[in-house]
Amino acid sequence: MGKITFKLNGETRSILVEPNEVLLEVLRDKIGVKSPKCGCDSGDCGACTVIINGKTVRSCLILAIEVNGQDILTLEGISKHGLSPLQKALHERNVFQCGYCAPGMILSATELMLNIPHPTEHDIKEAIAGNLCRCTGYTPVIEAIIEVTKKV
Amino acid sequence: MAIPYEFGYVKPTSLQEAIELKGKFQKEARVLAGGTDLVNEIKKGFRVPEMIIDVKGISELSKIEIVNGQLLIGALVTFSDIRKSQVIIDNMNILFEAAGMVASNGVRNRATMIGNICSAVACMDSAAPLLVHEATVHTASMDGKREVKIQNWFVDNRKTAILDNELVTHVSIPIPTVKYAGAYQKMMRYSGEDLSQANVGVLLFANGDCHVAFGSVGPTPKRSLKIENLLKSKGISVATIEEAKEMIETVIAPITDVRATKEYRMHMTKVMFERAMQTAMERIKMPKIITK
Amino acid sequence: MEEYKYIGKSVVKVDGKEKVSGAALYTDDLEFGPNMLYAEIVEGPHAHAMILSIDTSEAEQVPDVIAVVTGKDFPYNFGLYMQDRYIFAQDRVRFFGEQIAAVVARTPQAAMKAAKLVKVKYSTLPKVLSPLDAIKEGADLIHPNLKNYQHVPWFFPKPDTNVAHHRKIRKGDVDKGFADADYILEDTYEVPRFSHCAIEFHAAVAKYDLSGRLTVWASSQSPHTQRNLFAAAFAPLGIKHNDVRVIAPHVGGGFGSKAGVTMEIIAAAIAIKVPGHPVKVLWNREREFYNTYQRLGVVTKLKIGVKNDGRITALKHDLYWDAGAYVEYGANVVNAVGLSAIGPYRVENASIDSFCIYTNLPPGGPYRGFGYSEFLFGLESHMTRIAKHLGIDDVEIRRRNAIKEGELTAYGAHMNPNGLLQAIDAVAKEIKWNEKLKSNDPNIAIGKGFSLFWKAPAMPPNASSSCFLKFNEDASINLLVSGMDLGQGFLTVMAQIAAEVLQVPTSKIRTENPDTDRNPYEWQTVASHITWGCGNAVRKAAIDARDQIFDLIVRTKYLPKDMLYMDDEKVKCKTDPKFEIKLKDFIINGIQMEDGTFKGGPIIGRGVFMPEFTSTNANPETSQGGHPNVHYTVGAAAVIIEVDKQTGKIKVKRIVEAIDAGKALNPSLVKGQIIGGVLQGLSTAIYEEMKFDHRGKMLNPNFTDYKIPTALDVPDEIVPIIIEVPQPDGPFGARGVGEHPMIPVAPMIANAIDDALGIRLNSMPLTAEKICLTMLERAKKEKK
Repeated sequence: MGKITFKLNGETRSILVEPNEVLLEVLRDKIGVKSPKCGCDSGDCGACTVIINGKTVRSCLILAIEVNGQDILTLEGISKHGLSPLQKALHERNVFQCGYCAPGMILSATELMLNIPHPTEHDIKEAIAGNLCRCTGYTPVIEAIIEVTKKV
Repeated sequence: MAIPYEFGYVKPTSLQEAIELKGKFQKEARVLAGGTDLVNEIKKGFRVPEMIIDVKGISELSKIEIVNGQLLIGALVTFSDIRKSQVIIDNMNILFEAAGMVASNGVRNRATMIGNICSAVACMDSAAPLLVHEATVHTASMDGKREVKIQNWFVDNRKTAILDNELVTHVSIPIPTVKYAGAYQKMMRYSGEDLSQANVGVLLFANGDCHVAFGSVGPTPKRSLKIENLLKSKGISVATIEEAKEMIETVIAPITDVRATKEYRMHMTKVMFERAMQTAMERIKMPKIITK
Repeated sequence: MEEYKYIGKSVVKVDGKEKVSGAALYTDDLEFGPNMLYAEIVEGPHAHAMILSIDTSEAEQVPDVIAVVTGKDFPYNFGLYMQDRYIFAQDRVRFFGEQIAAVVARTPQAAMKAAKLVKVKYSTLPKVLSPLDAIKEGADLIHPNLKNYQHVPWFFPKPDTNVAHHRKIRKGDVDKGFADADYILEDTYEVPRFSHCAIEFHAAVAKYDLSGRLTVWASSQSPHTQRNLFAAAFAPLGIKHNDVRVIAPHVGGGFGSKAGVTMEIIAAAIAIKVPGHPVKVLWNREREFYNTYQRLGVVTKLKIGVKNDGRITALKHDLYWDAGAYVEYGANVVNAVGLSAIGPYRVENASIDSFCIYTNLPPGGPYRGFGYSEFLFGLESHMTRIAKHLGIDDVEIRRRNAIKEGELTAYGAHMNPNGLLQAIDAVAKEIKWNEKLKSNDPNIAIGKGFSLFWKAPAMPPNASSSCFLKFNEDASINLLVSGMDLGQGFLTVMAQIAAEVLQVPTSKIRTENPDTDRNPYEWQTVASHITWGCGNAVRKAAIDARDQIFDLIVRTKYLPKDMLYMDDEKVKCKTDPKFEIKLKDFIINGIQMEDGTFKGGPIIGRGVFMPEFTSTNANPETSQGGHPNVHYTVGAAAVIIEVDKQTGKIKVKRIVEAIDAGKALNPSLVKGQIIGGVLQGLSTAIYEEMKFDHRGKMLNPNFTDYKIPTALDVPDEIVPIIIEVPQPDGPFGARGVGEHPMIPVAPMIANAIDDALGIRLNSMPLTAEKICLTMLERAKKEKK
């Protein structure tokens, strides 16, 4: 059991973890941050996406002990400041259905918008291609991201 | 899913410390960089080590740079780093192209190219680009440094020439002295993330030379000197490409599995070879090679 | 046309903010404290075997293990339509991966370790992996006990065979119909199994408290049906319905997989063995593939006779369903298709035999489309082939045969009002059907395909819905229903219905997924019936509340009831424009009279809906005489594809789909169903396939090798079209549209492939590999 210290949604957290604890479980079960979901447990679906140091990663494929000293952002960290323009657009357009993929999808789109403020449709598809969704058919998600990134 | 296996974790801050650890634990230690393969394997109970050596604290392994005409790519370089590197875009367009087809963004942000060739699963995307560029794998251990030519690196599916006390520090790629352009083709079941069911890399040189490599169509990826010699001796043309396509049947040995039949893999390898050749031929004509 | 304020508007989803903010909690997100136990399942490694012994002693010794349970602990049968299922395997396993036992421990790690130590001895039995093998003379019986199973009266099992149900239609004179035909086309089609692939796994937490109260939190489409089946299964333990409570949080996708009862009963059963502890049973992605319901596979033999003008004279449709090891739910898919396998056509002479066949593969069950995608693959392929043979246009042959209101269905009931012709015409126009497309690239072929679809809800004739509507002090409303919002927007639409009747904005209506203790009865959220069925219940509850409000106004303000109306959270009067009273001024605390007394009290509406015209009483040899289906939803779709002739890869350029929603209560939600459903349909058409080896073990139980599409795989354009021919008994004329959008996709892609390349593929999926190898085969033959 080792102590790790990291930033989570802007707050510094210190906890004890075993080497075999996976980041996704630690976030959900030890810290109580529930927006990252488990949808495959093998890096295929993207439901567990979190942002570490500005980059989206699969939290199901990262050992918690690896994030010592890192800066982690989950959807809770975005929502605590109120809905972002992207979240508002997704909401107003009734984009999500079951909503299970939403946290991961929104984080992937957030990373994209940080790197490319005005992405092409292909950039958008490429950015969210690692987030599987069985409900929406993706097109409504893509359209919402286009709407938000065309503004400004 | 919880991991029901126990293991230790250590994060050295210098290469020396890392190779000492690897020397101590030998094959009971596994090296962690991105972890996208490693954590998956441990979850499945496959090759669970006693100790994990996290090398992310060793900053010298993150380099992408050109030294003395050699392009060096360190063990911590992720596929996303490759996609963002002007050095790669300018000097190794085929690797840039292949890196863009690895899994999806969230995996590319973490997965490393060296991890890819160390896992050495037959369907890896890095192998063909490294083979056609005649890369060298550099390892380090308490016994010293060692260089392994990439064509000797892949021993079998999931098996490389690495020794139990070694870790890979980087690969080096000689920058050709004549103009060149590469192209990579990957057979996937759809446009989204997929493991390759076959892949082809070609590298054309302005002097008429060419390198051709195939992946996922045998236990290890490999170059075909036979096809290269044909194209070199007769010159690259529609006719010789056609001839080379037929020769592929004697060069690769695809299998039927849950992903594809050997017949389709064989056919697609030919089609992809032709398309890769066409793309590379177009690219080499450009004043500056543009790869998407 | 009546003007509505809330109906027909794209109101934002009532749970939308929860879902975009990350606040939405799903079953596995709930906290149960340190007393929680974790279960790990022990699975059988054979498709068919007798269990000789189970040794749990070593597993029990693992630290933190609380209990190991096996089939002996739960000798109960259960099932929705036929009680052929067991909580854990009893004396035999019937599919690879079936649950044999479970280990319950204080940590997931301990449970996982101990599960590996449970030792089971088997004696293997011959296995049957295809339906056609299973019905051969002398095939090994998968359920020797079939004759003893309880089932609904409209099932007809054949004891001492592997046929669990046989639905027969005999209508008109089929022999004469074929004799009258100018052209007869007969062929066989194959559709493999598919997986729902909801991104959230099945999850259930159960607690049997020390007072004997069983509470189950589950990712569910069917909270009340689950309560009913739990109570029935555990009745021998003295458990009554009011001892059982099912709470359903948000669901991360259903598509049929979370209907009925599957793994939830394992959690409930284990909980009874460890009173006082919440027990979590969480499926994983692999099990999600091989141990939940799968879409049934089917082999169909289809024969259609037509006159030269394309009119159908007779249809014979034989369907051999691979229903899997347990058919308690899947047999009703077979039944529903048996009743409807004429497609949306006028067919005077029809013979249908739909066989539900046990195999040693995982249990088949409900999946979006409930069998209609499967049989329409063949039927709609057939229609295009017949049109091609006769030289009639694809659209024209469908127009000529399209079923109209009042014409007879296969079982002899009258077809409901419908917009099938409008849908056909709208699609043909939007896709520019008559415009021939030509590829400029010699390597790319372009093709167009057309398909119709129809589907009726498959329900017991007395499936019902109900609603409580409670006002709060500020005239906001709690609307209690027990349908499930699976993402389709059910709760939003229910709020819209109540809002329209009561003229209270949807933002003031709170409606959430149910708790069976608090919310009134609902059968299940399946069959695309919930907007229609529960919508009617909500409408009635709102009208009931409004009546109570008006009665109170009559009683206290002496105004004529038929002149009162609701507007802007007030009651107003047509004949007294000065009169208005705010709901919040009386809705809980009543209206004060001149003498200081109060009249009224909290307004609570109730609404119940059951279709009272349905019946399954029919002649089992012909299926004539009953009225098993409430109505059909119909539509049409067309596609333009490009095919790479060298690789076989398809690029979908455009899909147009029109659906008759009766009344689109929320157009953006209807469009969401169309766009999402079309992609799911496309995915089954060209990417997905469950593969099994010779042992019956699934080879691709993961997203690495069972490919569902990503954002990079969407069609260039999907155009949804809503047709509105009202359903007379629907709320504001609405009927369901949830399942339908995916149904026409596979046949229209097959038709487009034929159009582009001149090859006809009769087996799904229509993968690039299959297209390419078929082309190569043809080229080889042509060379010879």
